[in-house]
Parts: sequence; structure tokens; C-alpha cells
Amino acid sequence: MDFLFWRQWVVTLALSLTLVGAESPLPLATGGVVDFARDILPLLQSRCIECHGPAKQKSGLRLDDRMRMLQGGDDLGPSIRPGDSAGSPLIRVVSGLVPDKKMPEKGPALSVAEIGLLRAWIDQGAKGSESAKETAAPVPHWSFQPVRRPMIPVGYSKTINPIDAFVRAELKRKGIKPSSEADRTTLIRRLYSVMLGVPPTLEEVEAFRVDRRPLAFERLVDRVLEDPAYGERWGRHWLDVIRFAESNGFETNRERTTAWRFRDYIIQSLNEDKPYDQFVREQIAGDALGVDVATGFLVGGPWDIVGSPDPALTAQQRADQLDDMVNTTGTAFLGLTLGCARCHTHKFDPITHREYYAMTAIFGGVRQGERALPRSAEQEAALQMEIEQILVLEKRLEKYLPKPVKVTNTALLPPVNARLNEDSFPTISARFVRFTISSAGGGQPCLDELEVWSGSSNVALASHGTKATANGTLAGYEIHQLAHINDGRFGNTRSWISSVSDQGWIQLELPQIESIQRITWGRDREGLFTDRLATNYRIEVAESVGQWKTVSGSDLRQPIGVVKPKKPEYRFEGISETESREGKKWLSDLEEARKRREEFARTPMVHAGIFSQPKPAHRLHRGDPLQLREAVTPATLDLFQPVRMEESVPEQRRRLTLAHWITRSDHPLTARVIVNRIWQQHFGVGLVDTPSDFGRNGTRPTHPELLDCLADELVHPNRGSKEPMPLPWTLKRLHRLILCSATWKQSGTPRTEALRIDAGNRLLWRFQPRRLEAEGIRDTILAVSGSLNRTAGGPSFYLLDVDRENVYHYRPKEDFGPAESRRMVYAFKVRMEQDGVFGAFDCPDGSLVTPRRTASTTPLQALNLFNSRFILKQSDLFAERLKRESGASIRAQIQRGWELTYGRRPDRFETDRAEVFLRKEGLPALCRALLNSNEFLFIP
Amino acid sequence: MSALQLRAALLDRRRFLGESGMGLGAIALTHLLSRQRLLGASVSGKEPIRPLISPGEPYAPRVAPLPARAKNVLVIFCSGACSHLDTFDYKPELIRRHGQPIPGGEKLITFQGEQGALNRSPWEFRPRGQTGKMISDLLPHLGALADELCFIHSMKGKTNTHGPGENFMSTGSALDGFPSLGSWLTYALGSEDQSLPAYVAIPDPRGKPQNSVNNWAPGFLPAAYQGTEFNATTPIRNLARPSGIPENRDQATRGFLRDLNERHASLYPGDSQLAARISSYELAARMQLTVPGVADLSSEPEHILRLYGADEGGSKVKDLRAAYARNCILGRRLVEKGVRFVQVFNGAYQTGGEGVSNWDGHKDILNQYGVHGPVLDKPTAGLLIDLKQRGLLDETLVVWCTEFGRMPTFQKGSLGRDHNPEGFTCWLAGAGVKHGFSHGATDEFGHRAVQDVVTVHDFHATLLHLLGLDHERLTYYHNGIERRLTDVHGEVIRPILA
Repeated sequence: MDFLFWRQWVVTLALSLTLVGAESPLPLATGGVVDFARDILPLLQSRCIECHGPAKQKSGLRLDDRMRMLQGGDDLGPSIRPGDSAGSPLIRVVSGLVPDKKMPEKGPALSVAEIGLLRAWIDQGAKGSESAKETAAPVPHWSFQPVRRPMIPVGYSKTINPIDAFVRAELKRKGIKPSSEADRTTLIRRLYSVMLGVPPTLEEVEAFRVDRRPLAFERLVDRVLEDPAYGERWGRHWLDVIRFAESNGFETNRERTTAWRFRDYIIQSLNEDKPYDQFVREQIAGDALGVDVATGFLVGGPWDIVGSPDPALTAQQRADQLDDMVNTTGTAFLGLTLGCARCHTHKFDPITHREYYAMTAIFGGVRQGERALPRSAEQEAALQMEIEQILVLEKRLEKYLPKPVKVTNTALLPPVNARLNEDSFPTISARFVRFTISSAGGGQPCLDELEVWSGSSNVALASHGTKATANGTLAGYEIHQLAHINDGRFGNTRSWISSVSDQGWIQLELPQIESIQRITWGRDREGLFTDRLATNYRIEVAESVGQWKTVSGSDLRQPIGVVKPKKPEYRFEGISETESREGKKWLSDLEEARKRREEFARTPMVHAGIFSQPKPAHRLHRGDPLQLREAVTPATLDLFQPVRMEESVPEQRRRLTLAHWITRSDHPLTARVIVNRIWQQHFGVGLVDTPSDFGRNGTRPTHPELLDCLADELVHPNRGSKEPMPLPWTLKRLHRLILCSATWKQSGTPRTEALRIDAGNRLLWRFQPRRLEAEGIRDTILAVSGSLNRTAGGPSFYLLDVDRENVYHYRPKEDFGPAESRRMVYAFKVRMEQDGVFGAFDCPDGSLVTPRRTASTTPLQALNLFNSRFILKQSDLFAERLKRESGASIRAQIQRGWELTYGRRPDRFETDRAEVFLRKEGLPALCRALLNSNEFLFIP
Repeated sequence: MSALQLRAALLDRRRFLGESGMGLGAIALTHLLSRQRLLGASVSGKEPIRPLISPGEPYAPRVAPLPARAKNVLVIFCSGACSHLDTFDYKPELIRRHGQPIPGGEKLITFQGEQGALNRSPWEFRPRGQTGKMISDLLPHLGALADELCFIHSMKGKTNTHGPGENFMSTGSALDGFPSLGSWLTYALGSEDQSLPAYVAIPDPRGKPQNSVNNWAPGFLPAAYQGTEFNATTPIRNLARPSGIPENRDQATRGFLRDLNERHASLYPGDSQLAARISSYELAARMQLTVPGVADLSSEPEHILRLYGADEGGSKVKDLRAAYARNCILGRRLVEKGVRFVQVFNGAYQTGGEGVSNWDGHKDILNQYGVHGPVLDKPTAGLLIDLKQRGLLDETLVVWCTEFGRMPTFQKGSLGRDHNPEGFTCWLAGAGVKHGFSHGATDEFGHRAVQDVVTVHDFHATLLHLLGLDHERLTYYHNGIERRLTDVHGEVIRPILA
């Protein structure tokens, strides 16, 4: 009986035996036992797999094995429900029961017999399609397995640097000899280029060249690791990985003038060798760890600020922001392409569509913006001391006031102002505080924060347990929410607006009765908005509702804009000289104390995360922000010890939970990923050459055991050794291990026999020279010409002129002075627009994360480096330096030029050739050539 | 330099290079760019195109993997979102229902808010050419070429802000940071001429488009494939020999630099990166010689200037038109020399915001387009005629595009149209596409694309196809993903292919 005939026969039999389901228009299931390989797979292959298989996954669906069918596609959930064919979307779709989704799209519909077979297979449990992966205990992808410290390869001493043991064992297997150690000059130039991004001075080169003591290099490494230039160099690498820039991107591209504080935070963290796990935690949840500035990481990405009443656009902009946060977190710390799961379940890695949205739930309360940093505990304590001091002095000075004036009772407070107002009153017990507004210049009144002080603590905060209610909130603005009134965050974007013009009230219910003395409030503490200001208000308190006592209000203030605040006029005449002297002294102390109060009250502004409790997140069908599917609660990824949270978990704790999960010492990815990033910046290529993809679609490490050895050493330093335990997660220790390896110190000279086997040097038989990056070239040129300005930190300098219109335009500058001669990591990093000289050197603009820079060679680079005003000026400065330092002797100038650019002396031929050139064309021309030369621009 | 000195210098150079026993000959360009890593699988399941690129010759022409219908591309990009309803998309129903509300309009919230009534174009539409294609009086010169053009009336975007919209049309992603179409093409195909940039972006004389250089940025592709920016008035940055350095000194310095580099390279035989930098200075020197000649329009005869409208000035419109016309002539000269990708912009944001110097006609479409139409019309038409009469249209694909369309209604309380990504028009002309052809349609008012809808991804897939590239195979690995110009979408629009 041939196959088709058999199928027909079975169907006929089935029809005669099975009871027809009255309301089901489905073809009936075939009777008899169905075999997947024989009956089902050929059918799937001929009719389904073209669009839903390995090559294409229309609607995110694959039908080539059971697991994938159970996973389902974007639209209908799992395609099959084993045991329930009538309820399986696959059957419903091929039977034409789902409107607009009749499958297959191409060719004729499946026959009744074919559908019957599929039904029977599903009803019988959908067996037999398990791929080998599924039936055998699944072996997780290498990077999802725990890090295990490998044994040092056989034949290598345990005292040898483990890097060399693993690298050499692999070289030996391939029959390649390692290279000998590079000469001293090369080593120190390489060390400075790689670690600091600026060249060594001549004295440093010379001192190292002649240092014949043992461990001379190790000592040099220690010194270099303490050089603050290290943070400037490696901070730039990290800023690439996390797409840092100082403008918003897109068409408006406005500046973020306070984002530099985050850049400084990164540099400082590296310089102080902050443990990497702490560094990661701070960037994700620094607001919970007293390092708010670190949350600049979360909001460092591009931001489309073009607002529109169009809800689709607004939703899309927000979804893109969240995607940026999820994706950057995933790639930077975990080396995972989480963004791939935005529209559908990840095609290669075990990350479902739902898990992606569980991550968006973690970041759902994070918004972009500029805000004041909170006061530090020391600052707050100092502030309170000053306030007490002021009160004491004011009291003492009362006796110098003209008698008829009783300031304490009658002098009016200054008029309300939009930024910050303080209403003080004698200590009173309160459980409820009510702030009632009866005038706000015609608009709906706005408050950005209402603080109630018991001593030095703000008991109004929601985090303290205080609940806020109000008359009503202006609808439709996420930036104006009742929750903002006591969230501890300031500014218009964190404010509440009443639903009614010129009226409104806020009532705070404290968790228990508190003794309070002071209430502070404002319309916009960031000072950007002055409208909607409550000009008539009263403040009442009560221990229980109904027993309101008025404690302050606008009655006690001068009317706005009418009278200038009057300073009390102290008089020091007509009293004893001692009294007068004392009074004057107190007054001057008071003025000083007031100045200090201002000082201590102020905190810097920074572009950092602004946080609030988010609305529930939803899975978005195909990533479309208008197609909300089921609500999703926050959770970390399933691939390793997942932590799932309830919707009620506060916003901050969601991020903190994620941060702790990422930095677990047994997380399989975190340590491997950072070790690989560091390796990459040393050797040009990582052990894994897809540094931000450790998933199945990334490449495998060239030296998996070495990677694990270093990852384990990072997290569990010196495991098994008797030495005192060094700190875990310290990157400088990892650097030292790499730098002191023979592998790192190898010469860069290529060898034919090794090139033949491994031209790409992936096995590390030499240290492969590579061109410096944009920043390295600029910094090195400035250093050599003697004009590098080493001012560290602080606001960025500009390489571009800015037209600050609605849409910002940036034009590369041509002329640079000392301010622009700082290291390029301090240059204002604009999205899209690049520096006119160095932008062409594969300098990323921060629109996307750049885990590994491209290194192209282009004629535009040559034009910029040969013809720009920058290079000509530096050539002139370099020439002047040579004359200054080596006098009129041409040969001395040449020698000095060689030493400064190449770290070595010219040989006789070079000197002769240079002399002929110099005599004819002049010293600046020689300098122009040297600054353009490969030997100068390549890490040796 | 005396003969004796010259001889000494030459001898010296020979010694200089010969000292280590290896001259230039030893520097072999053997190791090709290290982009050879083959991934297990790309998402499309197709083998990615991996152009073999020697680092020293990033622009060497490369043969397209599939039969190519066009050799090079010239894009005219109207920045600010040019209204299809006032130019190429004739909607009789819109004229009939002028002044009436658009059905369902009360619920329509577009970029700037609520809609007013349906509004016919202030310009009449007339049948043009043999095909009788209806084109408005705003663009009579282009209208006269209707038989040459291949219209797509059913374009659909996915964002209604300019920055993301321009990104989407230029790079296939609404976000910043992705490689532009020209970068993809020059990465895949190189260029015919090795003394000119492979990819030139020509900004409007009034300034850069709304999303600025992101329109010609290389994104994550190597920087070699970024668009080189210059136009008829502003030369390539740092192209010219610096003033104050005489030519012979410049040459001598270049020669001395080459000696330094060759001597150094001889210590690293086979190192392609070192060799590439040496070549890049040679390429730069050739560009320095060639580009000014190409950019110098003084050799263009009077009748050509007249054809483009570059000969006339004296009024604001004519001055602007002449300046744009000179950019168009420059575009033709570059294509003529074999430059692979030329992108000419019409409209800018720098010198006048919303609608003033770009096509963003929210407030006063009659008066603003009254300027922009004539500025665009004659020079663009002249460009097409000129390309055709030189036989260049046989191998050049001309693309006219914009970031999205505009609404058939006027905005509430305004005399202009709001953004509309739901339906708009682009056209193609020249190599590989049908002539006098219209594909797809918007609804009766021109609001939404309804028939044979073409997404921007489809549009890009088609352009790549015409150049002999399968958009699913032209991929580049970045940050964990084999990226494509068309993301995971796009179908070639077969009906428009000639």
C-alpha cells in the first residue's frame, strides 16, 4: 500500500468511526498511530517550513520542531497544545478558522486528510519531533555554564603566569613558537599607549631602559596603574560600551550640559579601582547607594525630545527609550542581545518576548532629565548646623533692633518665589499636613515638592511612609503626578498640577505623629518655571482629621512683587563699645553663616536618572507600543537563577535587585564579559571577538579556559593560595596580570611561518601593532608638541561651535587654544556631529553602543591629519619645542624629534635623510611628517 | 636643489629604504580586511555578502553578486517632508470635497494636533506627457518629464517626526547611528573612480538637512564608507593644500613621510594596516588633485547652466534656485566620473526652521511651497534631461524621496498641512525601472497608502536589488547582530522593474 493510499484509507476509516463534533467545522483527526517522521515532517517541510523554519520566521514562528511549536509565534501563542488539536492554533489556522490568517499563505489549502493527520499527531501528544537537543539533557551554551577554574595545562609550572601557560599550550598545539620579548623602548611605549593613551616622557623611557634591577617592568606597571591618565584612557573605552554622549541626538540634538559629571564619575571610579561589581551596581541603582550621578548610565542614550499630541508617537518614543536602557544593560554587563527579544522571542538565545518586557518593567520608572543631586549626609549635617547657628545669632542680635519693631512677630516673610519657600513655625505635633492654595495667577497651581521637616529629616517623603492626597490632578501629563509631590525629586518634570485653576489642596498623612518645625515647598526648584505659582496659600496641621491648626501661609508673607524683602536694621550706636563690637561681630558671623547655608544647601545639577513608580508593563505585540498584551511583572532573566518580583515592588528596588543579580559572584556572564572587554583593549581583539554577544550567535572564545581562569581570578582572587586575600572584582589586578605576562610583552614583529598558520594572530604569537584611536592620536600629538593641557575633570571643552536654536547645530572649530588642548575624553561629546579632524578616525558618536570600534583607513583621515589647521599648528609648536630643547643644531633637533615621537634615536641613515629634508624644507615640515607617520601613530 | 644635491638625496633615499634589505616590494597586501568571520547563521538563513576589501583600497570596485541594473545612484532628498498632495498625487475627491471635514477627522491626532477641513492643493493638476500623468503646476518642468518617471504613490513610513523620519529614509532605522544607504552600497560595491570619494553628500546651499550628517553617516560600518560632504560652494574639509605651504614643500613633505612609513613598514612585512595608511595618503593626494577639478563648474557651457537654471539670479527664488542648480550640476559631474553614490539635498533646517527653508509646510503652504517648488523644479528636471542626453540615465538610478508626506487636511487654524507617514510619494528614474509608470495608490483623499503599499524597507530592498544586491544578504555584524539596511523586513517591488 503506498503512502498516499494508506492516508486516504485511514481518513475514511476515521470518518466512519469518529463522532462528528457538531459545532466544530474542523476536519476530523485521523485514526491510527501517527508517526512524526513519516507522516508529519514531510507535510511541514513541503508546506510550512519555507516561511516558518530556520530561514524565515514569519510572525516569529518556527514549526520545525516541537519545542518551537510550543514556543509559538508573535500572534497566537503556542502553536500546538498537545492532546488538544481542536484548541491548537496551528489546526485552526490551517483550517481557515482564524480570520485573515489562512495558512499556508502560498499554494492550496491543506487537504482534509492532511489536517486530520496533524490533528491526530497533536491529540496523540505531539511526540516524536524532539530534536536531539531536547531529548538529551540539554547542555547549556558555554557562556551560560558556571565559570570553573581550569587546571593549568600539563607541562606548565604552576608558578608561571597562567595567561602564558594557556596561550603557549595552544600555540604549541598549532606548532607556532611564541615571539621573544620586545625591547625596552617598545615595551614602555606600548604600556603607556595601551594603559594611559599618552606617551612616556623621555626621562621615563630612559629610566626604564637602563633599569636593570629585577622586576623593573613590574614596578613600572604599578606606577602606570596609579597614574590618573589610566582612568581617562579606560574611561573612554567604557563610555563607548555604554553609548555615552552629551547631546540628545535626533534633530534637536540639544546639549546635556551637566552630563560631564557622569563622565568624571566613570574616570574616578576606574582610577580608584572601584570593584567592578560595585561599579555595575552603582550605574544601575546608584540612587539607592548614595551615588546618584552613576545613574547617568541609564539615561545616557539618545532622547527624542520632539513632543507631539500624537499618542502613537509619544508611546513609540518612550518604548525606544526603554529599549535603549534594556539593550544597553544587556550588552554592556551581560554580553547579551536583549534587544532581539523586543518584537519576538530571541531567535538564538533563551530569552523570551515576555522576559524582555519583564526587563522593561524594571526600568519603567526611569526617565531622562537634569536634576539636582541629593545632599550628602555631611552636607545635610553641615546645613543643619548653619541653620541652628543662624537662629542663635538672630536671637542674640534681636537686642540691637530698634525697639518699636518686633521682628519676631510682625516682620513679614519674603514674598513667595517659584524656586523654594520655607515656612517655619514653633515645633508642633502633627499627623496630617494640609497645603491649601487659593490663588495661582490664574493657572492651575503647580508644586514640585512639599517637604515637612522634623529636625533634619523630611517626614513627608513617600519612602518614609507618608501618603499624599489632593483635590485632583491635571489629566494627561506623566510629568505632573500626585506621586511627585513627595518623591524627593525636584523640577517641573517631577511636579504636581492641580486640576482646577487658582485652587487646589494637598494633604499629607504621616505614618505616625511627628514633631515638625518647618515646611519647604516650591513650584520648580530647578528654577526653570515660574508660572502656576501658589501666591495665596495656607498651611494647616492636625493630629487627627478635623482638628486643623493653621501654622503658616501667605498672610505672613509680603505680597509678591510689591515690597522687597526688608533686612532687619540692626543699630550699634548709643550703646557701650563692648556691646557694639560684640553685636557687629555677631552680625558678620550671621552673614557668613547665611552664605555658608546657601553653599551647603546647593547641590550640583546632573543629567541622571529621574525615578518614579511606573505603571504596569505589558508585553507589546511585535514591539508595537500601541498593541498592549498581558501585563508583565519585573523579573531578571530566566537563563540564570531568575528573580521575579511582584508589581508592588518599589521602582528603586527593582533596579537594585537586577544590579545584585548581575553582580552575583556566580553569574556566568558578568565576569567573563568584562574580562573579555579588558583583554580586547590590550590586544585589539577579545578572546571572544563578539564582545557584546556571548550568546549562541556570538563566536566561541579562542582560549575558553584562559577566559574562565581570568574570570574566576577576578571574582575569587588567589583562590587556593596562602597569600592574604586580595579584593575581588578589582580591574587593576587583572590589568597587572595581563601586563606582566610574557604574552603581552612579546615583540610585534611578524614571522612568516607563524603568519602562514595564524595570520590574524588570534593565537597571540606576537603583540600585533595597531593604530591608535581618534582620542589617542589627538592626545599623543598634543603631548609630543608640548601643548597637552592635563587639567582633569569638570565641564567639557568644545571641539565644535554651537548654534543654540530650537534645533542645535554644531560646526567643527578650526582653531584651538589651551582650553581645547585637554585630553579628548573631556571634549563635549555631541551625537552625530564630529570633530573636524578626528571624527573621521572611526570615532563613535554615542548613538549606539560601540563595544568594538571599526578601524578603517581612509583618505579623509589622511587629508585631516596632513592638511588641517590643527596639525599645522601642532607641527609649529613641536618645532618650537625641538628648538627650545635642543638648540640650533639640526642633528640635535632631529634626534630629539625622533626620541619624542618614536621613543628612540634615529640611526645614521634616518639622520642623513632627515637632515637633507630639514635643510631644504624646515623644521615644521619635518614635524608635520613625523606627526603623520605610522611609527608614531601605531601602538608598537 | 642642484643636480648634485638631488643625486645625493635620491641616493640617500635608496640607502634609507634599502638598509633593512626590504623595500616597498616586501610590503605585501596579502592579508585582507579581517571581516571574514562567518557566523553560524544569519537571521535570514542566507549566506551574508562579505566583500573582499583590501585595507589599502577600500573603494576598489567590487562586482555585485547579482546582475545589476544600475551602476550608481543619485538621490534627491527633499528635507522637511514634501507634500505629495501638492505635487504628484492627484486626488479628484480631495478637490471635490474641499472644505469638508475628513471622515473620522475628529479622532485624528497628528504630529501637531487636530485637523481642520480637507484642503485641495492651491496648485492645479494637469495631464502631462504621453501618459497624461496628472502633476501639479507647482512643478511644471518635472511634470514635462512625467514619461521618464516611475512613481510610487503608496509609500508608508513609521514615524512622524523629521529626525527619525529622515533617519528611516536614509538609513532604514528611525534611530540615530545606523549606516546610510550610500554607506551600505559603497561598502558592498566600492566605486569606479579611485581619485574621488566613493560616496558624496551634497547638502542644500542653505545648510544641512534636519537630521544633519546622520543622513550620510557610516553608522557601525567602517568610517571609510561615510559620505564625504561638500557642495558647489563649500569644498571638502581639509582637502586643499594649507595656505602658506608652497606646493613643492607639500610634495616634499609627502615624499619624506612616505619614506618614513615605508622604512617602518619594512620591519613589519605583510602588515596590511601599515600598507593601508600609506595608500590612504596616495588616495588623498589624488583626491586633492581631482576633486577641485570636478567641483569647478566654470567649464560648463552656457546652455547647460541655462538648462538647470544656474544662469539666472536677481531674486530670492532665482538665487536659491541657481545655488541648488549648481549642486545638481555637481551631482551630474560626480556621477559622470563614476562616483557610486551621490546624495543631493533640497531643503535645510539651519537657516530657517519649520517650512522656511525646507518642505515642512505646517503654516503657510501656498507661500512657502511657492518658493520651494520653483527652486526644486527646473534644476532637478535639468539634471534628468542632462543625464539622459549624456546616456548616463542608462546606468544611473535617480531617486527622488522625502521623509514622509503631508495631510490632505489643513491643520486646525492654519494654512498648511501636518505630517503624514501613512501615505506619500517617491519616484525613481533611469536604470532598471519602468518609465512613465505609477505604482500603488493612497486612499481617495491621499491620506493613507491603500493599494500595493510600499514600506521604506521595500523601497530600500528595491534599490539594493537594482544594484545587484540581495537586501537579506547584505549584512554587517554589529553588537551581536547581523544588521541589514532593511532590518528584518522588505520585499523587492517587482512591478516597477523594467
